[in-house]
Amino acid sequence: MIAFQDVHKYYGDYHALRGITATIRAGEFFSLLGPSGCGKTTLLRTIAGFEGISSGAVMIDGKNMAGVPANKRPTNMVFQSYAIFPHLTVAENVGFGLRRAGLSKDEMAKRVGDALEMVGLAGYGARAAHALSGGQRQRVALARALILKPKVLLLDEPLSALDKKMREQMQVELIRLQRQVGITFILVTHDQEEALVMSDRIAVMFEGEIAQLADPETLYRRPSSRRVADFIGTMNFLPAKILSEAGGKIEVEAEGFGRATVEADQAPGAASGDGAAVGFRPETLTILFEGQQATDREATAVIEEVVYFGDMTYYDVRLDGAKTSTRISMRNVFGRPVLEIGAKTRISWSPGALVLFR
Amino acid sequence: MIKRSRWTKFRESEGATGLLMLSPTALYAILMLAAPLGTIILYSFLTDGYLEIIRDFTMANYIEAWTNDLYRSVMIRSLGVSMSVTFVTVVLAFPIAYFVSFHVEPSKKSLWLFLITIPFWTSYLIRVFLWKVILGYNGVVNSGLMGVGIIDEPLTFILYNVNSVVITLAHAYAPFAILPIFVALEKIDRSLLEAGQDLGESKFVTFCRVTLPLAMPGVVASVLIVFIPTIGDYVTPQLVGGPEGRMVANLIQLQYLKLDNYPLGSAIAVSAMGIVTLVSLVFLALTRRYLKGPKG
Repeated sequence: MIAFQDVHKYYGDYHALRGITATIRAGEFFSLLGPSGCGKTTLLRTIAGFEGISSGAVMIDGKNMAGVPANKRPTNMVFQSYAIFPHLTVAENVGFGLRRAGLSKDEMAKRVGDALEMVGLAGYGARAAHALSGGQRQRVALARALILKPKVLLLDEPLSALDKKMREQMQVELIRLQRQVGITFILVTHDQEEALVMSDRIAVMFEGEIAQLADPETLYRRPSSRRVADFIGTMNFLPAKILSEAGGKIEVEAEGFGRATVEADQAPGAASGDGAAVGFRPETLTILFEGQQATDREATAVIEEVVYFGDMTYYDVRLDGAKTSTRISMRNVFGRPVLEIGAKTRISWSPGALVLFR
Repeated sequence: MIKRSRWTKFRESEGATGLLMLSPTALYAILMLAAPLGTIILYSFLTDGYLEIIRDFTMANYIEAWTNDLYRSVMIRSLGVSMSVTFVTVVLAFPIAYFVSFHVEPSKKSLWLFLITIPFWTSYLIRVFLWKVILGYNGVVNSGLMGVGIIDEPLTFILYNVNSVVITLAHAYAPFAILPIFVALEKIDRSLLEAGQDLGESKFVTFCRVTLPLAMPGVVASVLIVFIPTIGDYVTPQLVGGPEGRMVANLIQLQYLKLDNYPLGSAIAVSAMGIVTLVSLVFLALTRRYLKGPKG
C-alpha cells in the first residue's frame, strides 16, 4: 500500500530522515511513534506531499509519488491544529473538497450530511466553524477528510489538543471509524499508550530512523533495544553476563536473578555495545504473600520505596545481589496490606518474562 | 468618624481615574476636531455676504453645491480619482504584502517592513515634487523613453492631469495599504493552506478559496485607509494635477481663501464628508460577510 524505500530527508545540514524503509499494509491502523523531533511528522508529511524527500522513494499503491503534488495524492490529512477554515460553516468545511466532484446541490448536502452523521455531528452543518469545541473540530476535520474517500487517512497528533477523557473517547471512536470505512489510517503520536491502544502495527522512531516496527504486543513484550523498551511503558534493567549460547537457548547470569536460561527470541535486538542486560516489565514480578509459593523461580528483595496509586501500588525494590533498585507494580487486592519501606520480601519471577539486551 | 464629602468619594472612584486619564485626549478632540467641525456645519447653513457672514439660516449653499455643474464635476472627479488610487494602491499592495508574509524568512520580515516605510522618511511634499521631476515634460520618464527611441515627442498625458494625481497618491499611500493586508495575511494559519491542497485544490484555487477570504479584513481596512484621506487630498492635485486634475479640496480652498465664501466652502466640505461616509458605509455593507470575526 505505502512503501518507503530508503527515504532520506535533509533540512540544510540537518538529517531529518535517515534511510526509512518500511511497508504499510492496506487497511491497517499504523502508528508512527516517537519523541518530538524524531522525524515522525516529517515522514507523515512526505506521504501527504507537503515535504519533498532528498533521496529514496515514497510509493502509494505501487506508484512513485515523486513530483506528485499534495492535491493529486490519494491521501487526506487530519491536521494537529485541525485546520478548520474559520470563514466557513461546518457544512462548507466538510464539503470543501467536493467542489471538483461537480455534484448537484442536493447530492452535496446529502454527502455532507452523511459524513457529519458518521462522526456524530448530524445537524451541526449550519454552525460557524469557530463556534465548535475542540472535540467537535476534530470530528469536522475527520469528516472533511473521509468524505473524499481517500486510500490513506493521515492523522498528525490528532488527539494531543484534547483533554484526557475526550482523548480516550476519540481513541475508541477512531478505531470504530477505521473498521467502518476500512481504509488505511496512519497516526503520528508521541503517546505510547495511544499507539498501543489504537494500532495494528507501530513504527517506533528515534532520530530519523525506525528503531522497531512491530505489532503492539511484540513491541511491549519483546522490544528490540533498551531505548524502545524505555520509551514504551516502564522497563527495569539489570546488568547481565551471557554465559553460553547454543541451540536457541542462551544462558545468562543476571544481577539479582542469578543464572537463568532464556529462549533466543527473548533477545530480539542486535548488540548495542553497552554490555548485556536483562529487562523486565514491572508487572511480570510478583511480591509473594507470606506462605505463598512462587510459580516459577523465587528471589529475595528489600522494599525501598512505596508509591500508592489506589488500584495499584508501585514498589521500588532491591533484589539481593543487585546494585540498583527495580520497580514492581502490584494490583492491590482486598485483604492484603500495602508493604512498608524496609520490609524484606520474597519475589516470584520467571525467566520467560525477561528480555535480553546484548 | 469622618463623613466624606461627595467630591472626595468621586475623586477616589474608578470613574474619576478613567475620566482623568482620557480628559487630555477628549479635550484635544473637542477643541481641535468637534469644535471646528461644528463651526463648519454651522457656516454651511448661513448666508454669504461677501466679506462677512450673515446670520440667516439658508439651504442655498447646499443647493448651489449640489446643482452647480462645476462643483458637481469636481466632486465626481475627486471620487473617481480616490477610487482609482484606492484600486491601484490595494491591487499593487496585495502582492507585496503577500510576498513579505509568505515568502520572506520570518527573521527578515521586520527588515522588509522597515524598508517599506522608507518613503515616509522624506517629506510628503518632497515626494510629490519628485514625481513632478519624474513625470514632467523634460522629466526622467520622457527623456528616458526618448533617449532609447521609443517615443519621438515627450508624453504630455502623464503630468498635470488626473493620471499624475493617481500615480503620486498611489505611491504615497502604498505603505498604508501594505501594512493592514500584511497583518491579515500573517494571521492566517499556514496549515489552512495545506489543508486546502490536501483536500484536492491547486495552490491557486486554495488562494482564492482560503487565503483571499481570510485576508479580506486587511483589504477592507486598506481600502478605507487609502480612500478616505485621498478624496480630500489637497497638495498632490495642487502640485501635479494641473487645471484638469483639481479635486474637491482645491475647490474648498478656493471658496475659503480666494472667494471668501465661507458658507459655500463649508457646504462643499460637509457634502464631501457625507459622500465619503456614505461610500464607506456601502463598501462596508458589501464586504460585511468577510468581516465577522470569531466573536461575531
